[in-house]
Amino acid sequence: MEDKRRSFLRKAAIGGGLTAFAAGFSTTAGRMLDHVLGKDQPKQRLNGNSLAPEFSVNPATGALSINPEQQVSYTMCTGCTTFCGVRVRIDKKTGKVLRVAGNPYSPMSADPPLPFQTPIRESFVSLTRYEEKGLAGRSTACGRGNAVLEQMDSPFRVLAPMKRVGPRGSSQWQPIEFDQLIKEIVEGGNLFGEGEVQGLRALRDLETPIDAQQPELGARVNQVGLMASTNEGRLAFVDRFIKQSYGSLNMVGHGSYCGGAYRSGSGAMFGDMKKMPHAKPDLENVEFCIFIGTAPGNAGNPFKRQGTLIAKARSGNKQFSYVVVDPVLTNADSLAAGDRSRWVPIKPGTDGALAMAMIRWIIEQERYDRHYLVQPNLKVAEASGEASWSNATHLVIVQPGHARDGRYLRGSDLGMVFPEEERYKDKDPFVVFDQVAKKLVVHTEARGVAELFFDGEAQVGADTLKLKSAMSLLREEALKHSLADYSAACGVPLEIIEGLAREFTSHGKRAAVNAHGGMMSGSGFYNAYAVVMLNTLIGNLNRQGGTLVSGGSFKDVGEGPRYNLENFAGEVKPSGIPIGRNVPYEKTSEFKRKKEGGKAYPAQAPWYPNAPGLASEWLTSAINGYPYPLKALILWSCNPLYGVPGLRAQIEKDLVDPKKLPLIVAVDPFINETSAFADYIVPDSLLYESWGWAGAWGGVAVKMSTARWPVVEPKAQKLPDGQAIGMETFFIALAKAMQLPGFGPTGLADNEGQPCSLERPEDWYLRGGANIAWQGKTPVPEASDEDIELSGVARIRPLLEKTLKPEEWRKVAFMLARGGRYQNYKEMFGLRLPPPADPKAHAAPAGAVLAKTSTSAGIKSLAAATVAGAAVHAVKEEAPYPSDWATHRYTKPMMLYNENVGTTKNSFTGKRFSGTPSWHEPAFADGTPVRKKYPEAEWPLQLISYKSPLQNSYSIGARRLRGIHPDNPVALHPDDAARLGLHSGDQVYLETPGGRAKATVILRHGVQRGVVAVEHGFGHRELGARAHRIGDKVQPHEPAIAAGINLNDMGLSDPTRNGRNVFVDPVAGTTVRQGLPARLVRA
Amino acid sequence: MIQSRRNFLRALPAITVGAALAPAPAIASAAGEEEGKHRWAMVVDVQKCIGCQACTVSCIMENAVPENSFRTIVSTYEVHEGKHTGTYMLPRLCNHCANPPCIPVCPVGATFQRKDGVVVVDGDRCVGCAYCVQACPYDARFINHETGKADKCTFCAHRVDAGLLPACVETCVGGARIFGDLNNPNSKVRHLVDQNKMKVLKPEMGTQPHVFYLGLDERFQGRVEGEGTLWQPSGHGA
Repeated sequence: MEDKRRSFLRKAAIGGGLTAFAAGFSTTAGRMLDHVLGKDQPKQRLNGNSLAPEFSVNPATGALSINPEQQVSYTMCTGCTTFCGVRVRIDKKTGKVLRVAGNPYSPMSADPPLPFQTPIRESFVSLTRYEEKGLAGRSTACGRGNAVLEQMDSPFRVLAPMKRVGPRGSSQWQPIEFDQLIKEIVEGGNLFGEGEVQGLRALRDLETPIDAQQPELGARVNQVGLMASTNEGRLAFVDRFIKQSYGSLNMVGHGSYCGGAYRSGSGAMFGDMKKMPHAKPDLENVEFCIFIGTAPGNAGNPFKRQGTLIAKARSGNKQFSYVVVDPVLTNADSLAAGDRSRWVPIKPGTDGALAMAMIRWIIEQERYDRHYLVQPNLKVAEASGEASWSNATHLVIVQPGHARDGRYLRGSDLGMVFPEEERYKDKDPFVVFDQVAKKLVVHTEARGVAELFFDGEAQVGADTLKLKSAMSLLREEALKHSLADYSAACGVPLEIIEGLAREFTSHGKRAAVNAHGGMMSGSGFYNAYAVVMLNTLIGNLNRQGGTLVSGGSFKDVGEGPRYNLENFAGEVKPSGIPIGRNVPYEKTSEFKRKKEGGKAYPAQAPWYPNAPGLASEWLTSAINGYPYPLKALILWSCNPLYGVPGLRAQIEKDLVDPKKLPLIVAVDPFINETSAFADYIVPDSLLYESWGWAGAWGGVAVKMSTARWPVVEPKAQKLPDGQAIGMETFFIALAKAMQLPGFGPTGLADNEGQPCSLERPEDWYLRGGANIAWQGKTPVPEASDEDIELSGVARIRPLLEKTLKPEEWRKVAFMLARGGRYQNYKEMFGLRLPPPADPKAHAAPAGAVLAKTSTSAGIKSLAAATVAGAAVHAVKEEAPYPSDWATHRYTKPMMLYNENVGTTKNSFTGKRFSGTPSWHEPAFADGTPVRKKYPEAEWPLQLISYKSPLQNSYSIGARRLRGIHPDNPVALHPDDAARLGLHSGDQVYLETPGGRAKATVILRHGVQRGVVAVEHGFGHRELGARAHRIGDKVQPHEPAIAAGINLNDMGLSDPTRNGRNVFVDPVAGTTVRQGLPARLVRA
Repeated sequence: MIQSRRNFLRALPAITVGAALAPAPAIASAAGEEEGKHRWAMVVDVQKCIGCQACTVSCIMENAVPENSFRTIVSTYEVHEGKHTGTYMLPRLCNHCANPPCIPVCPVGATFQRKDGVVVVDGDRCVGCAYCVQACPYDARFINHETGKADKCTFCAHRVDAGLLPACVETCVGGARIFGDLNNPNSKVRHLVDQNKMKVLKPEMGTQPHVFYLGLDERFQGRVEGEGTLWQPSGHGA
């Protein structure tokens, strides 16, 4: 027993360690002395310094009494990118945020959330002991969400504009008056005594091409770029400024160095490589779930909702089990849940090998959902009971040398006539082989099932074409490697691969697989495409217990029902080539020139036509001057130098040199690793001071928008008119100085075209709120006086009344009081939504009554169009969809073969990419495998990045988080450690071809052999880790903020490329942090 | 089905439950019942804990817990057994024992049990001698280095008395912490305790804890012997 016990707990403790709670009495003697020396007497006799309750409730009657000294308001957390609805408790006298928990109306924080109509008073009571409501109705904030309020009072905040006085990055600043700041940035001049710097006014050249020889690059205005991070509810405002108003094409988010590879892989299957839709498992109903490269309940998005649902599922009575496939064990696993939770270690970056092995096994064993895959179109699929459909039966031309080799066969190939501009576009249908008619038909006309595994020749017009169905192409790709080879590649034993595949295909549509940020490897795109394809093989999209797309958000921007937050007179439609080169190389002058010269490939640097905007390529492109250099860069709350693997080593020296990038302006509440190189830093609002409307990123299948509004007074310096300086005031002032369209006294217009002002943040966000309030069948209700009072909206009531129309402000107040607008949670399934507002596409003959019944899956669908005036949208009374269909369905086909990917050529090699999921060993741009360049003999280990539930890239400043989790020792399997003679606590140098860092080793069985696991969020150089001098004051610094190492400082550049660059996925252009070649040397 | 899963993902060896356990504490005889209307207690469903430390931080914020001290925390273990490795998460706090060993050792009578079972420290009386800290078998007490007094979880008595829930319960993301009145026959904790075989930490100490663990592996009932993290709460008490 003793022996067993010892081995059972040989190695332990991931966080909040063993010793944490045992630390109590080791220093007792010292304490006794302290008492003698005197301490502050606790405020309360029995309750020490605990806070006074925000309200009290009579547990017998539910009567609520408010503590008049405190305010509880519902708003948004921006402590990570989930953007949960939270309740913020504020000391009214000091404005200090005391504590943060969850908003009970928000599905991001409560399960289930309160109905939207619930009065605020009742919402407070729902959180209490009264009838034990607060247990079932609890609404939570996570550990980080509880801690980030500390940032509000951080000594490291930037509260007033400042300008550098020393060289770039030298941490020497001087305060600058706001007006002077605007003047210098707009007009330029000899701003730093280093020579002339062009200001934004001069750089706004909408006419002159950047390069007359390459007109496709666009006008010089494109040489002003703006890097943002994520849409925390304000991105549309920034977009309006930089693109529509200022006129530059170049604005980019952080996706390519976050989880972009997953999104791109998913986008390939969902048929949209720019918006990259994705689906998440329905954790409330799924029976078996595989998580690959994502860790539910440990990290990921929506963090709490996934955590709550996974906890409920693994402890509940419903059938449920799950497997986490990951090179490192995290809190996503729970030993307490027994067999319901399992961890399967895998080699880094090889998820595609596992997924392709499963695909091969599923196809060979015929365990795929044939009924789902044979449906040729949405209509036939729906009629036979499928809630979504795929293009498995669509035929692809597979004829090397043919002009349309790799393209889908289209209706126009069969002789359908289209105007030239519509040929081979969306309206030109695909073609299937009809099983009954035994002939080719366009997919829209197919009435029954189509041939799934078509592989043959067919007469098409005058030609005999070799055609394969998408499913045949997927099978062919999957069969390229044996199961044993796949197993060897990914390190997952064959019997586990087969077991996973068998179990995955044993629950009908009530199984799911999910991925996310762990896909950021050198073959991330194909790994992700392969992983998500498993969902399509069992046809689980839009089905209860399967995968669901987000229910979407209520739109604040756009041409809304109350205000036009989209278009304006004089707006610019930016054009040209984005600096991240996410467009086809073949459309460039360089290509034409090189082709004429006889060698079209390689391009000077890779191009990524199947990717969204790529921050991963931005800064190196700007420094290389390819496709063109940047003249000015605006950084808004982003930190690419911390987050892009390998970037710092590539461009740190260049950034210091103003000749290479003449003007850098950062808008940020802190000095981070990137804004430290700025010429100017402008403060921004933080957390609960700030405005914004954000949707759920995924994982919430009802429609919802979370509201963020200033529940406390912003701390930044105030302008003479009382506005706090922030992102909005800065851009508004820039626009005003340059007289840009779309801002100013008549910058906006209401829905009738009447002008209104855009001069203050609330002009934008409150009117966006009015748009949200009026969406749907009926507008939201009006807030009562009590709602306004109890929720703290009373504090900003004057702003609402001043900015909005009399009929609007109480409706907006209703939403602010509740922290957003939420569709009824019970409407997640079975609701038939009105068709999209496109009268042409959905016009039914007036007076016609259509009735259709399909019994194959017990579906009854009645469509009735009532007699209606020509201008009035037909009112439809239709039966709901089946109760296990998602209300918000994705209705485009799941693509087993993506023709855009399949016909794209690698701009280095000129070779075509695979259009189906496939397994590729990670390789550099010219196709050289990473392991060939950096062989195992020299680099025996592989680095991976993972997250804890507590730290992210910008949370280290929260002292109380550091108190629980202060450091990130690098984790190594004991077998590897034994080989290297290392023990827990040893100091090592961690080396990759891209960098070197001194680290502490911790031995963990929960790490795949051959792997060094580095937790994200540490190794900061800024955010308070370094002292800056502002004016004549030296700011404080905190060495604990610098603890640990940052894996991204050791990212690779691509040795097969020229100039500055970082190693990225060849299709998605996303950065690589999983599977970096590495070695450890004892320090 | 279950069988096939066991085959491909080696099951955790069966854990012997029951034999080595002390019987569940005699809840009915808790001090609270005779005198008080309520007997507050907590049930921790360990399968639901995701180790996010929301409880830990909310407690710190609510109760002004000084840096590097904790009234509650989630101990998180990496457990290695044979070829299998998994994560075990165990929330810890004061057990508000029916037989609290911390009380009799107090030389000034500062620490006592309220009639509703909550063990508290009277800050006016406490001299910070830390005898109670040493007497607690659960390491649930510490000397607050800001007040110089013994400090510990109070079940957020200031909130509970106001009709609210303890901070850690309000914000438990996994829903693992369930709080209520054992004297109320309709309360959730009463139902859970009646309908499940609950475990407590260190039952052999005879302390009769009133934090009950649902689904606790018996090997975590006592002091867990493993290698700690490399980190120790820096400066705790320093």
